[in-house]
Amino acid sequence: MRPSRLSAVAFAVITVALLLGVVASAHHSRAGYDSAPGKLVTNNGVVSSVIWRNPHVFVIWDVKDGSGSLVKWTGELSSPTTMISEGMARDTFKAGDAITATFMPAKAGTPHGLLIKVVRPDGKVVLDLSERRNLLEQ
Amino acid sequence: MRYRMRVFIMMLAAVAAFSGAASAQEPGRTPEKPVVASVPAPDGWKTCPRCQNETDRREANARYKVEGHAFNPRDLSGVWYGDVAAGRFFVNPPAYTPLGKERFEATIGEKNAAGEYLHTKDTSGIGSGAQVNCDPRGWPRLATSNYGFEFIMLPDRVVQFFEQTHTWRTIWTDGRKLPENPPELRWMGWNVGRWDGNTFVVESTGFDDRSWISATQPDGGFPHSDQMRITERWRRVNYGAVEVQITITDPEIYTQPWALPSLQAALNPGAEIWEYFCVPSDFNTFNNDVYLPVATGEKK
Repeated sequence: MRPSRLSAVAFAVITVALLLGVVASAHHSRAGYDSAPGKLVTNNGVVSSVIWRNPHVFVIWDVKDGSGSLVKWTGELSSPTTMISEGMARDTFKAGDAITATFMPAKAGTPHGLLIKVVRPDGKVVLDLSERRNLLEQ
Repeated sequence: MRYRMRVFIMMLAAVAAFSGAASAQEPGRTPEKPVVASVPAPDGWKTCPRCQNETDRREANARYKVEGHAFNPRDLSGVWYGDVAAGRFFVNPPAYTPLGKERFEATIGEKNAAGEYLHTKDTSGIGSGAQVNCDPRGWPRLATSNYGFEFIMLPDRVVQFFEQTHTWRTIWTDGRKLPENPPELRWMGWNVGRWDGNTFVVESTGFDDRSWISATQPDGGFPHSDQMRITERWRRVNYGAVEVQITITDPEIYTQPWALPSLQAALNPGAEIWEYFCVPSDFNTFNNDVYLPVATGEKK
């Protein structure tokens, strides 16, 4: 193989590698969520609304705290079309649905989280981004 | 020969390792084997570029026989999808002029007591925490939008229609020249195009200097002046891929022309452009109900 051909092959290989490594740009910083391993929070509640709009879908659900008061939790996802690619539809969650939500909590301590997994009472997993958290960066 | 083969194999291994490392830091948007199927489009309609996972794209490419398909190199029409991070495209900027440095520093937003960036000055809607949302992103910032675009070829113009922010730019191909002194400044610029062999060359001027060329990390953005001129060279590599190389010239802000690396977009035959408006009220709701409470602990 002549050096020039070797260079051409190297260039092609490196180009492919760079394309493989390429990722989408994040719209919004997720620095406010605690992504440390072991910091995921899980709670049970009832969906009160789903905001299916750009830039990011978010789900609001009511959870009873220790004193019996209802706390509204907000779980952020990605854009509607990104969620469609992940099998979530506009009507996947409805007000009144009971869910078990697992999320990265807000570092600020507010009742907010970056949703990672949602399971229904019968054990059906509606959404599981555990292996694809990068989707939430878009 | 054996030595060269060894070098080649070592190079492949190194590149594979590099690619793996890059993926580990910033994994691609979709895994090889999606756990769940995407939501299908209604009967008779196509899904959107962004709505597809990798399985959908592979299946569509097979269904529409993209590989090896005959193509007209002077026909760019179709829905295209590029998934390229702005941070990997708007790279190696030339040195700023003194005015450029001043303009760049003016793009840096507010920080909290811990030095974390809070209120960005990115008014495009991408940067959460901005006081204003949904100003047009403009060109060339939209080049890295990963929601797809469509080229529509008309006899006297080419229209580039973007799903994200639901906007377009018109590239005139009827032989007109760029104006020396444009009567208005445009977010998408004044654009003319011509064929140089099988390369579609687009030249632009007359840009509104409020847009950023791209955001910069961790905050701010690459500025430009109203003297910015852009040259793009689009080439259809095969039926399934189009490539563009963009060069930005703005002597008021940058000491040299800025030649960006080539970027490829893939044909998305199984997709059509959907509607993604940047709606100020929606973005403000997101800002107030999600972003700001998470970033600051306070609800507006």
